Amino acid sequence: MTTTTTSSSTTTSSAGVSTANANLTPMDNASAASAAAATGLSTTGSGPSLAPMEPVSAPALHPLRRNCAGTPARDFCAWPLESFDEMDSTLAVQQMIQQSIRAHVEDVEGILRAPDTQDEGVWKYEHLRQFCMELNGLAVLLQSECVPETCTQMTATEQWIFLCAAHKTPKECPAIDYTRHTLDGAACLLNSNKYFPSRVSIKESSVAKLGSVCRRVYRIFSHAYFHHRQIFDDFEAQTCLCRRFTVFVTKYNLMSRDNLIVPMLEQDLEAGESEA
Amino acid sequence: MEDMKESHGSGEEGGSGHGSGNNGLGGGLRGGSNGGGGPGGVGPGGNLHYTIPGILHFLQHEWSRFEMDRSQWDVEKAELQARIAFLQGERKGQENLKNDLVRRIKMLEYALKQERAKYAKLKYGSEGVAHLDDGSKALGDDEELPPVDGDNYIAVSNVNWRQGRQLLRQYLQEIGYTDTIIDVRSNRVRSLLGLNDANNVNEENRANLALNGGESHRTRPDGTGAHHPAHSVRKGVTTLAEEMMLDTEASVLANFDFLSSEAEVDDDDEMNDDIDDGYNPQEMKLKASKLAQAVTEAEDKETEDVMNEFNFLTNTDNVDSIKSAGGGGGGGGGGGQAGGPSSKDVPKGLSGVGFQQTGNGAKTNQLLGGEKQQQQQQQQQQREVELGNNLELGELEQLTIANDNESSYDISAPKEAYRKTWSAKYTLRSHFDGVRALGFHPLEPVLITASEDQTLKLWNLQKTIPAKKSASLDVEPVYTFRAHQGPVLSLAISPAGDYIFSGGLDTTIRCWQMPSPNVDPYDSYDPSTLFTTLTGHEDAVWGLSYHLGRKQLLSCSADGTVKLWSPTAPSASNLVRTFGNATEDGGGATPTSVDWVQDDPTKIVTAYSNGSCVIHDIESGKLVIKLDTKSDSTSAVGSINKVVSHPILPVTITAHEDRHIRFFDNHTGQMTHSMVAHLDAVTSLSLDTNGLYLISGSHDCSVRLWNLESKSCVQEITAHRKKFDESIFDVAFHPSKPFIASAGADALAKVFV
Repeated sequence: MTTTTTSSSTTTSSAGVSTANANLTPMDNASAASAAAATGLSTTGSGPSLAPMEPVSAPALHPLRRNCAGTPARDFCAWPLESFDEMDSTLAVQQMIQQSIRAHVEDVEGILRAPDTQDEGVWKYEHLRQFCMELNGLAVLLQSECVPETCTQMTATEQWIFLCAAHKTPKECPAIDYTRHTLDGAACLLNSNKYFPSRVSIKESSVAKLGSVCRRVYRIFSHAYFHHRQIFDDFEAQTCLCRRFTVFVTKYNLMSRDNLIVPMLEQDLEAGESEA
Repeated sequence: MEDMKESHGSGEEGGSGHGSGNNGLGGGLRGGSNGGGGPGGVGPGGNLHYTIPGILHFLQHEWSRFEMDRSQWDVEKAELQARIAFLQGERKGQENLKNDLVRRIKMLEYALKQERAKYAKLKYGSEGVAHLDDGSKALGDDEELPPVDGDNYIAVSNVNWRQGRQLLRQYLQEIGYTDTIIDVRSNRVRSLLGLNDANNVNEENRANLALNGGESHRTRPDGTGAHHPAHSVRKGVTTLAEEMMLDTEASVLANFDFLSSEAEVDDDDEMNDDIDDGYNPQEMKLKASKLAQAVTEAEDKETEDVMNEFNFLTNTDNVDSIKSAGGGGGGGGGGGQAGGPSSKDVPKGLSGVGFQQTGNGAKTNQLLGGEKQQQQQQQQQQREVELGNNLELGELEQLTIANDNESSYDISAPKEAYRKTWSAKYTLRSHFDGVRALGFHPLEPVLITASEDQTLKLWNLQKTIPAKKSASLDVEPVYTFRAHQGPVLSLAISPAGDYIFSGGLDTTIRCWQMPSPNVDPYDSYDPSTLFTTLTGHEDAVWGLSYHLGRKQLLSCSADGTVKLWSPTAPSASNLVRTFGNATEDGGGATPTSVDWVQDDPTKIVTAYSNGSCVIHDIESGKLVIKLDTKSDSTSAVGSINKVVSHPILPVTITAHEDRHIRFFDNHTGQMTHSMVAHLDAVTSLSLDTNGLYLISGSHDCSVRLWNLESKSCVQEITAHRKKFDESIFDVAFHPSKPFIASAGADALAKVFV
């Protein structure tokens, strides 16, 4: 029983991806074996069932993409790139996005270019997760400078005061609280079992929620840009996050152009110069 | 054999009598031809010349020969008797097997019959059932109480359906599932259910008994329904029936255990506590002791009185609610009374069952009758076991045999009997990337997680949001710690529950005050939560461990050093000592994990990425002993991912990248045990407070629970998904509550209860 299921699952998934079978097989075996163990079917079988285990111990075929304890910071996640087709994990989209960010953080278009077969809802969702995650970095920087005494309200330009939607009745939180609450709220929403029970397929109605999350988190960029320019510039130089975000929401039409008040795109910059 | 020997013996006597020497000699010769003859025998026979010495000599010779033969026969007899005993044993074994199989067949037949009945019920309505279901109790009930047939039937068939399913699971278990997979306790409960079932089967022949037995099964669940009206109100008929089943299990279990062994009182109480979800333990105890008493005085007439008393004790509440329920069902009894607060909300199922029991008017009598019958039946079984009266008993015999097995199992491993199976209860979803480390608050049901998304989060497991379609609960974090500028890799929580320490890829160690578990998640930002930052490491901080008594924190970093800090001291003197340049004792490797030696707070144990593991004295900074990691026969010892020190024993446990978990003696440095624990690298270890159990997490996606005494895997849980080649980063035991938790690369943390 065990033997047949193991081998058949290996062959089917290998057949699906004809390239680089050698690399794929060990991973499949490992996962199949663990699945077998999980169902309680101990691999007591003789020769055939043990045979697929062997390639696992051959590291030459399959470099382990893993940060072992003790890995120095410079080697963290510094493993060879894996093509999207080879990723068999349910988190492949996140892996793909993070991998391309690590490779070329400034290649915003490249990072946002979805693989051909990729479902757009999941692609947008995973990107937004990544944005919120990286915004934690900006929030940490802001915590040092943006105090309730100086930034009593969440503002960018003088035009709008933003109310914090995290509370039962929206509230005029200081900017740093707004930032933290918005990120916490986004984390809860994007991880909500109700709206996003799966990271592999996402309901159309839930995809619609992404827009409001984008609008809210964008205010963190705009506040930093207009009130903590030094922090913003340092952060932007390191991560290109605002530029990537602007391209992202424009590409997928998640926010209206009028709301994108931080000049980021080429035409924005040109427009700014001509006005001056 | 015996006969032959005796005939020879008589011949011998004849010879010695000397009355007919010739005959005697002839017999002797005939006998002698087999034995090879002798000079005395041949000589006189040939010459017909008898001399007294010759005859005497011959007789002596013959005598000794017969004696020898006789002893040979004795030996042979003994051998054959042994053979007979063996064959008889074999036959007995075969019979047992046969009986067992017959029992299974009958049970399956019964289950099938129930299924057919159910099917027929669904197809033709309740009328058909009455005809098909000839052997079951339902028929009798139908005749008595046609109006409530429908409800009653649902309850019964649900019970039976559950029984059938349980049985099937039991067979599966007998075929191949081991005890590590199916929990011992549920195993027990299941075989007890088997008992119920077989009772029913057997009692197709004894309709009277069956009726009473069936009644008694349903008696107690009703009682619990009355004890906890809230339950029955909330849930529908089906769930009610299921609850009843559970409670029946509990009560049957109680009875049964006392029959099998009275010495297990403590054990039993614990089990009841575990199993029942509504019983008052005190009451159970009372019940149990009464039962025990009843059993010991089995033959006594007084038993009945005792039981009556006991029944009144347990069923007093019952009667009230049954009355009111009965009133609802058929308008028989008085209206809703104080005893049954739920009377008007009691769902139809309960009222149906209740009414069915009370239908004849003699409610309490009937209830008591049921109880008594059950008691007597079990006593009878007990007696029959004692008599060893196996062949005539049929199925009943098997039941008692199963019981024997269980009690012997209990004796051999009393701990296992109430060992719990961990199952996922809470899913902690809020991190955006892999959760690298986690730890429990020492007292509260509060968990802290550290993630690669640069944050730590505090979760209060008591603030839950019920999730749809699953038994697990979702929890939202109540506090988010932001200060690390990069992934957070390590975490330590003060055993006093006041401080949290986190180490990150950004080389810093952040020291946090523990927020209140009831803090408003959207409260305003208080920068003082982060009370200090320890800087000094030059690379990622991979391991932390805090000692409460010393108020000192250990950290190990990819820069090759282990540092000792006093985080609560004025910031200038935070750093106490830096240990061991790795080149000296770790062979150029980086430290990966560090822990205090629990039984000696002046020593620390550090694990390195080259597989070595050493113990340092923190006062002198000197190396005390190098644990002999290389003694394993396997060629290369893999990098150590985690080291933990046993809370009581001088034992160090290491988790290796090469799938092993290894155990070392701290005094000798010898490796005491090594085992392949997972299918992939073992990443994390955690010991419970008493040092009896170990949990390990691995990149093979599974968490395993180990019994430290036997070094055997007690349970395996597949907990997380893979991201790249990583899966589980950390596991933890709650120091004081029955929780375990796992942290995964899939950005989830899970808590098991």
